[in-house]
Amino acid sequence: MSNSGASTYSGNFWLTFFTNNRIVSGAIIILIYLAIISALGYLLAPYIRKLYKGENTFLSKYTAPIIEKIEKVAGVNPKNTSNFKGYFLSLIIFNFLVGVFSLTFLMIQGDFFKFNGQRPMNIYLAFNTIVSFLTNTNLQHYSSPLRLSYSDITVVIIGLMYVSAATGFAASMAFIRGIINDDGKLGNFFHDFLVSIFDLLIPLSLLATILLIIFGVPDTTYTSIVIHPFFDKFTVNIPIGPVASLEGIKNIGTNGGGFYGANAGYPFENPSWITNLIEVISFTIIPIGSIFAIGQVLENRKFSFMLFGVIMSLFAFSAFLAFFGEISGVPALSNIGYNFGGNYIGKETAIGISQSAIFGSAATLTSTGATNAALIDYTPAGMLGILFPLLLNDPLGGVGTGVLNIFSYVIFTVFLVSLMVGKLPEIMSLKISSKEIKYSTFSLIIHPLIIIVPLGFTLLFAPILMKSFVNTHPDQITALLYEYASAASNNGSEIGGFATNTPFYNTLDGIIMLLGRYPIMAFQLIVAESFSYKKPKVQYGRSVDIGSFWFGFMLLFTMIILGLISFFPVLAAGPLLAWGRAFSLSVGVVR
Amino acid sequence: MNQYIEAVINAIKSFDPRKIVKNPVMFITELAMFVSLYLLAFHTQYGLNLTPVYIDFYISVIVLLFLTIFFSNLAESLAEGKSRNITATLKKMKRETNGRVIDQNGERMIPSSELRKGMIVEVRKDETVPTDGEIVEGRGYFNESSITGESKPVFKVQGDSVTGATILQDSKVKIRITADPGETFLDKMIELVEGSIRTKTPNEIALSILLSGLTLVFLIITSSVYTLGTFLNTNVNLFILVVLLICLIPTTIGALLPALGVAAINKVSQFNVIAKSGRAVENAGDIDTIILDKTGTITIGDREANAIYPNRDISMDQLYEAAYISSYFDETKEGISVVKKALENKPDLKSLDMTKYEFVPFTPDTKFSGVKKENQYIYKGSPNAIWELAGSKDNYIDARCAEISSRGGTAMVVISEKGILGAIEFNDILKPWIRERIESLKAMNIKPVMCTGDNELTAQYIAREASIDEVVANSKPKDKYDKVQEEKEKQRMVAMVGDGTNDAPALALADVGFAMNSGTQAAKDAANMIDLENDPTKLMDVIFLGKQILITRGSLTTFSIANDISKYFVIIPAVFFMFPDLSFINVLGFTDPLLAVTSALIFNTFIIPMLIPLAIRGVRFKPSGINDLLKRNIMVYGVGGVLLPFVAIGAIYYLLLGVGVVW
Repeated sequence: MSNSGASTYSGNFWLTFFTNNRIVSGAIIILIYLAIISALGYLLAPYIRKLYKGENTFLSKYTAPIIEKIEKVAGVNPKNTSNFKGYFLSLIIFNFLVGVFSLTFLMIQGDFFKFNGQRPMNIYLAFNTIVSFLTNTNLQHYSSPLRLSYSDITVVIIGLMYVSAATGFAASMAFIRGIINDDGKLGNFFHDFLVSIFDLLIPLSLLATILLIIFGVPDTTYTSIVIHPFFDKFTVNIPIGPVASLEGIKNIGTNGGGFYGANAGYPFENPSWITNLIEVISFTIIPIGSIFAIGQVLENRKFSFMLFGVIMSLFAFSAFLAFFGEISGVPALSNIGYNFGGNYIGKETAIGISQSAIFGSAATLTSTGATNAALIDYTPAGMLGILFPLLLNDPLGGVGTGVLNIFSYVIFTVFLVSLMVGKLPEIMSLKISSKEIKYSTFSLIIHPLIIIVPLGFTLLFAPILMKSFVNTHPDQITALLYEYASAASNNGSEIGGFATNTPFYNTLDGIIMLLGRYPIMAFQLIVAESFSYKKPKVQYGRSVDIGSFWFGFMLLFTMIILGLISFFPVLAAGPLLAWGRAFSLSVGVVR
Repeated sequence: MNQYIEAVINAIKSFDPRKIVKNPVMFITELAMFVSLYLLAFHTQYGLNLTPVYIDFYISVIVLLFLTIFFSNLAESLAEGKSRNITATLKKMKRETNGRVIDQNGERMIPSSELRKGMIVEVRKDETVPTDGEIVEGRGYFNESSITGESKPVFKVQGDSVTGATILQDSKVKIRITADPGETFLDKMIELVEGSIRTKTPNEIALSILLSGLTLVFLIITSSVYTLGTFLNTNVNLFILVVLLICLIPTTIGALLPALGVAAINKVSQFNVIAKSGRAVENAGDIDTIILDKTGTITIGDREANAIYPNRDISMDQLYEAAYISSYFDETKEGISVVKKALENKPDLKSLDMTKYEFVPFTPDTKFSGVKKENQYIYKGSPNAIWELAGSKDNYIDARCAEISSRGGTAMVVISEKGILGAIEFNDILKPWIRERIESLKAMNIKPVMCTGDNELTAQYIAREASIDEVVANSKPKDKYDKVQEEKEKQRMVAMVGDGTNDAPALALADVGFAMNSGTQAAKDAANMIDLENDPTKLMDVIFLGKQILITRGSLTTFSIANDISKYFVIIPAVFFMFPDLSFINVLGFTDPLLAVTSALIFNTFIIPMLIPLAIRGVRFKPSGINDLLKRNIMVYGVGGVLLPFVAIGAIYYLLLGVGVVW
């Protein structure tokens, strides 16, 4: 049990109880986190609802003139709305141009403004980095402060973090409009994009940045702190820079690419439990808020609560699996009686196991991919807890994309459920025809396909590709699965375990990230467009109640079954086999 | 027995790849069978283990794959065989007859294949109606048993439509032909039953897309298992991979899907209802509102004169006579029943000379009918119309009328130039079981609306008796149309039963238009379902059926997908049996991997024939609210679909082990 190594205090009973029962206190910490993020998400929902409905918010009087001016300069007429084709074309061309600009910037920067000790990026790494930040993935195949100048970080990295998050939110605005409208129009991408940036991302990230600065995250133009340790002849250079401003949008925009290679595990990115809480709140607040906002926009709050319940069940399962996996310690050691209060390998002791677990699972449930612990050192069970949301394509999702992803599952489930009760499938009185099923199925199957196909390919040619795969073991399968799942779900969380900065992985990951972002978004928006030609909801209650408990049960059931049937063999040969081995190893020791 | 042999032969014929490619899941299964044969033939190249144990395994895999496809084909050909029987009987009915055409050239006999629209033919006693038409003159009893199987003859009057192949049993009628050869009702029926086999409903299309998508994913996953094995330096037997693939792809629903579609149309035909498309049947399952005509649907046939109430100074006999005279020329069923009633009580009325009277027909404006002779007249009509005619209300008779209405009857008042003579009471008889049927409709969240030309009081009474909550009383034909429109605007799916020409617009507007075969041609053309037996309550059967089709399809899909979970837990430990560390996922504790894999495949194969009866019959369901049904089906087919294979595969495994199969 985990209470070994705990010290006893006399006097305060509860203090003693919680110190001696780490499982209870850890579980309570996780529950507190879940309660706080749910409450704050709920509070943000009315604001997001106004954005979805195009109403004025209390910030509009400041932001509207700015948006108007930019639109005037750029020649965009917000009243000029378009259907799927126009909307998606604007989205993809805009993203492409931003990508090309950033790529050029990154390549040139290395030649002109190199800092001491910085190595420029080659084209593969640069491609991977740009795609990664453009798709809201933020998979980092470089070690951040050593490879990027601060102008890179400020312009390219922070810039792309805003662009990718705003693109996602704009897509979700178009999707919601598809459900509400009946004229086939999804809106104007550029207007949605600007609204997302000025009304949502900038205010929230500014707030997060200020809070982080208050609680000790540095934000400066200095490049490094020089420390001369006592009794040492060498000085230590600790790079610092615009950490807090990057952290703000990194978390608010569910991006996740940190300033430091160790991400939020590094004390300058995440110095204390309070910044840990702020960061978890900042990457869950928009996704949770959007879930509640959908219900308010579509005037079906029960639906929102159902979605929230389903996602929170997955969230709690993920967080508790990770927590229990870690608190029970490394199997090889815990089985022979050494526990040390859980598996602390690769974790920041100031933050602890429970807060690392909730941070990790919150990061993979949203498409954030930030981390405050070294995932490679997680136990197989803990790893499974962090990994499985990736396999379900981030149920809570990123900014905007969460709404889109969950709707693919919802449409799929509505189809099955309606047939099961003998009704023609429809959602909010919108008939679901074969077209919507087709594109929802596409957007659901593309995710396992872009994980399994590269994985199979890599495994088959592993010995040729990499020297480190000569002695093969299941952990490498886990590592590869994690890598591709993270790229495919545009999450960006990484466990490493093998050299990822090679032309092969840079290119392959780049392609996976692109396929995991734009085609899925396109399919979902096609569904939205096809809804947008249909008459809007008039009344509820004629078909399956999509806010009911049993619909939620079936949604959860479908999500888990689809995840399991797609990934069970890989999970068996990867984490499960590793898990089994870890235990049999320890059993061997006992014998 | 013969049809089963035929079904088996057809099932074997369906192995033709060109035919099976239409069903992607079964196509992959057949491909897998050929690949297995190929693997076995060139085993040396693929490093297959060829010990006797393995050879047994390979052969049983191939045999089981063959059986899987065979069972799928069998399900379809059994269902198709049934519909072929239906068309065969229909074709037999379409025998050649002659029609007696009457035109300006006089009278001549023409074979029915040369009869054209608009021609007038005369049909005499015991003659067969040559083709579809509408009665323009005369009336008579028609034996429709050749179409409906109902031996009781049907009485038809002017304006009613008659169907070819029915037999006139008395008198003679003149019929205007309404269909060219090849367009008759029988032709359409044959075409529909045959055609419905080929066309897929939107839901079927959506489902096949979904299943194809899953199949693609499973193909990729199965190949990835091979690479996982290679990576971990173990040699995965290719036959086990073939089994894994077949167990994963949704063979259960894939095999039964075509049979489900055909079975649906067959079942509709068994009700003697012709659905113009499979889609119409599915739509019927989704109905929210059903607009019912009172007459013929809720009550038996037409109301009949039941009793008469003479005015204060009028005798019973006088009123019978007046009623008889006023109704003598009235061709409506009410009029006929009045005449009948009067003759029963006063047989001598028959000798009355009626030629001196002039007929005043019923018009929607006057709302009365009767006879007149110079300045004498005898009319009967609805109380309000008569009060208007008389200029004032007769309080005594009015009270009588109210009394009649309050017990669900309909009153008609008879008037002559001398004053109000009395009231006739017409009564409706509720159909047996109608209340129970309406209540089960309501349990399924379907709102019945009754439309009737009766007054508010009568309508309310009958609605209460039949447990209907919403009534449109005093309705004119246009009211039905408006009601359909009103419900549709609320985004509800509306079904409508009708038989008259003036019902046609409403029938066409409704999502499901259900016309009676006895109805007019216009109504039949506008509807998307036609009932041969003229029993409007059958719409409720069709609604049940439509629901059942969707439920069967959805439940089997869920079942099929849920099955995969347990099959994984059997096959994956077998694939990686060389890693004892993974044995904790071998939840059933199988020790023989080959036998475990075979057991899974046996389950996968034999679940198909076991579900064929379910597919053809449809899953049972209690008419209940959506949420109860959902809860039940999720537990049975979702959760049950995960658990059942564990039990079944375990049973098969230990049974095989028990009888001494050692691999």
